[in-house]
Amino acid sequence: MMSFFHSYTPLFELALFNTLLAFSQYVVLRAGVFSLGTAAFAAIGAYVAAIVVTTYGLPFWIGIVLAIAIGAMVGALVAIPLARLRGVFQALATLALVQIVLSITLNWVDVTNGALGINSIPKTVGLVGLLIAVAIVTYFMAAIGSSSIGRAFDVIREDETVAVSLGISVVKHHFIAFVLSGAIAGLAGALHSYNSYSITPNEYGFNMLVIVLAMVVLGGRVSIWGPIVGAVILTVLPELLRGFQEYRTVVQGALLMASIIYLPRGVADTLIGAYRRRRIAEETSRMRETVTA
Amino acid sequence: MKALVLEDLARNFGGLPAVDGIRLEAPAGRITGLIGPNGAGKTTVVNMITGLLKVTRGRIKFGDDDVTEADATQLARIGIARTFQNIRLISDATVLENVVAGFHRHETTGTFANLFGLPSAQRERRALEDKAMILLEQFGMTGLARHPAGGLSYGHQRRIEMMRALAMDPALLLLDEPVAGMNDSEAHSLADIFRNVARRGVAILLIEHNMRFVMSLCDHIYVLASGRLIAEGTPDAVGRDPRVIEAYLGA
Repeated sequence: MMSFFHSYTPLFELALFNTLLAFSQYVVLRAGVFSLGTAAFAAIGAYVAAIVVTTYGLPFWIGIVLAIAIGAMVGALVAIPLARLRGVFQALATLALVQIVLSITLNWVDVTNGALGINSIPKTVGLVGLLIAVAIVTYFMAAIGSSSIGRAFDVIREDETVAVSLGISVVKHHFIAFVLSGAIAGLAGALHSYNSYSITPNEYGFNMLVIVLAMVVLGGRVSIWGPIVGAVILTVLPELLRGFQEYRTVVQGALLMASIIYLPRGVADTLIGAYRRRRIAEETSRMRETVTA
Repeated sequence: MKALVLEDLARNFGGLPAVDGIRLEAPAGRITGLIGPNGAGKTTVVNMITGLLKVTRGRIKFGDDDVTEADATQLARIGIARTFQNIRLISDATVLENVVAGFHRHETTGTFANLFGLPSAQRERRALEDKAMILLEQFGMTGLARHPAGGLSYGHQRRIEMMRALAMDPALLLLDEPVAGMNDSEAHSLADIFRNVARRGVAILLIEHNMRFVMSLCDHIYVLASGRLIAEGTPDAVGRDPRVIEAYLGA
């Protein structure tokens, strides 16, 4: 039993790291912001954390705090010029941010060590550390989701005209979403640095951006279960599809396409919706029975 | 107690005047009607008052303030609420959640408490849900509180919009064709609610198509045709006005 668990530890850790990234993507999508900036924020967090430990010899927790703070700050800096953009324009502008961060990590060799990346980062974060981080972020997402901010996010995402007519400030809430997205991805990047011994610029490129977006779209964008379910599925799926060998990515892509066509609201939100409908139907039929009896 | 005053209000779309210099007053505690045939510019007027459309010419005054340049969020914050002609609800959210959204301008919990899920944020949520349930009771929809709004009938969805607007506890309420598609008895039950709201000192501007409904409810009626005011006065006077009859029935 223990050995089974042991051999899958890296997979669990990857699933937890992906869950954090998915939360970073989820929080912007929930607020109706089509940001693809998660990969950039995560790269910033990873490099800040790695440099703090390897170059300055500071303890790892300082690296984590700084990664979160700088991630949040970059999120805030991005939110201001992007406040007027919507939809596909937001996507393009944040995609540009990912490119900018990628080219900085590749070319600012003195600080980032260029394409070679930063190696021999002491491993200070394991499965337990990642679990604690996911638990904390999940708590925050649940708290924010059921607060005034979560309610405002939902209205803005569904209909901005209604939101402003109710006095909800779109600029303020988009700003909050960007800051949260930056902070969560910064944390994810830092933990990845301290968990995987080395980081390279290309880990935080187009590939990550696509897979993180896929996790939230597949899992669901409203309930906090969405990013968790999506991250677990897209982490485990490649392992399950090992038998297909070189067709693995084709099968994975086809499954993703099918799920988006048949479950456009995502796995978690669809299941939760179905469960609620059934409960309401049961309640109404029970009420009818008491009326007739 | 604030009144809405429009002075020489105009809006062009690509050079074409949709609303061409109208003057209107909606006093507090009264239901003022704005009627006119399709395409007369009624919804354009509402969108200018609520800040969704920029004004080409003229002024909008609310109480003692000139709010011509204010944006939609600011106007909602000072107590201007509206319903939409084409119903706009969050269809996946429950009835209760839709109504609670209307309380946004009265929320007092700080961003920090909301971010950290502090007890004050949770208390506020429960308090708002209780207040929303009181509204649901007034509209006879308590049993539907946990239903997704999108799955309900047209009449119910109209009521949810109304409750959301009332949750704002507005000083000015703009109703954009609130009884469109309702039968007479449904419309009558809403009329009673509107009278009660007005009695509390709210200024109501009722935009309608249904002449009978407007005539029975309004103290003062403005008639709009092709972006211009063609008549105003008491329901009786307006109903007899030959220009109004011509605009509605054609020459």
